Amino acid sequence: MLINKDMKMADVIHLDHHLLYVINRFNIQLGFEDKSVADVCAEHQVNTSFFLEIVNTYHDPSYFPLKNLKRFSPSLLIDYLQKTHHYYLGIKIPEIEQYINQLTLNNKIEPAHSKLLVDFFQSYKTELTAHISREEQRVYPYVKKLEEFLSLVDDGEVSLHEINEYSIQKYEEEHDDVEAKLYDLKNIIIKYLPSPNDSSLFNKILHDLFELERDLNNHGRFENLILVPIVEKMEKDLVKKLK
Amino acid sequence: MQRLSILIIEQSFIIREGIKTLLSQMNQPFSMEEVDEFVIDLPKLLRKTKPNLVLINPKYIGTDIVLPRTNNSKIIFAAILQGEIEPNIKSKFECCLQIDADKQTLSKQFEEMIEKGAGKKKIQQNSTLSEREISILKLVALGLTNNDIGEKLYISTHTVMTHRKNITRKLGIKTVSGLTVFAILNNIIKAEEYR
Ligand SMILES: [Fe+2]
Ligand SMILES: [Fe+2]
Repeated sequence: MLINKDMKMADVIHLDHHLLYVINRFNIQLGFEDKSVADVCAEHQVNTSFFLEIVNTYHDPSYFPLKNLKRFSPSLLIDYLQKTHHYYLGIKIPEIEQYINQLTLNNKIEPAHSKLLVDFFQSYKTELTAHISREEQRVYPYVKKLEEFLSLVDDGEVSLHEINEYSIQKYEEEHDDVEAKLYDLKNIIIKYLPSPNDSSLFNKILHDLFELERDLNNHGRFENLILVPIVEKMEKDLVKKLK
Repeated sequence: MQRLSILIIEQSFIIREGIKTLLSQMNQPFSMEEVDEFVIDLPKLLRKTKPNLVLINPKYIGTDIVLPRTNNSKIIFAAILQGEIEPNIKSKFECCLQIDADKQTLSKQFEEMIEKGAGKKKIQQNSTLSEREISILKLVALGLTNNDIGEKLYISTHTVMTHRKNITRKLGIKTVSGLTVFAILNNIIKAEEYR
């Protein structure tokens, strides 16, 4: 079932509570009363149709309307992607990290094993941080520059050297998958660690890993299937404009 | 899983939808061509739709029909049955879908059809590593590249890659660091050996 603008925001959460984290990225917090999605979006100056496409693609992975999604402005998209990055590095990763560090305090778990997990997760964190900072420092500023140049009335102000050293094709080539290690970590915990006396802390970790993986999956699709083609088109438009 | 290309000849909308729901719940990828009226020229319809599974309500093809079989393309014909049906109709089909059966029975009937369509029984995937795979896993976990491993074991890099794919499939672990953790947990390498 797809979410529409007339549904009550509270019902949206009842339908799929995973959306809570997504909704927060739009600076929308709880306390929805009986307001509709459109009302809540208007109240927070959020573009309702963009909001709907984001929650629907998240809610139903088989729903991914390329055409609709490519209509949105790159800055809207980048803003959302950036908020998602902040959520990963500022909230989700520290949360999982805290759980994993707690494993070392549990004397029922072999210290060598908890150390393996701590080290593994640290190396994942480093990898994800590097991935994200490459996007934020290299790719997004480039896209913003393109957008700025395209909106200029006077072509004389376009300074090509600022954009010539990068192209979205480079991003496409070097954009690696950040989910593989998460997948491994899940299997290590589910299948290969000796059974713990009490699984509850592991359950929390697994729950968070599944949640993060789903999120990253959606995020990656936006980067590869939406951001890349939008920017490719901008690059072509700029070449045309300068002719 | 292999994608099923299904042709269904059945008037009831509810039954067609129900079959789709069941297949999606079984995580079976499929595409479905739907015909909701009496079929006069079945061979032509088959040529047009190229299915590998045909679900037919026998009422809609006539009782005297001979199902077109060809040797080169294997098509499974299954009857959509409700209640008691004459055995001579039933015998024309490879499989039956008893639509008044419960969910578990229906899923089983579908699994049978899918297996017949694939031409072989599902083999239980063996997930234990062979000795060769363990020796390769060990070298991967120690940080050797595919090239290094090939040289060390006198096999081609391509062969190393094939082994690695199998290891990943069997263990459900994709990355080198994941394989290293696995190898330490299973005493294939010692933690001190690593790095
Ligand atoms: Fe990203
Ligand atoms: Fe990314």
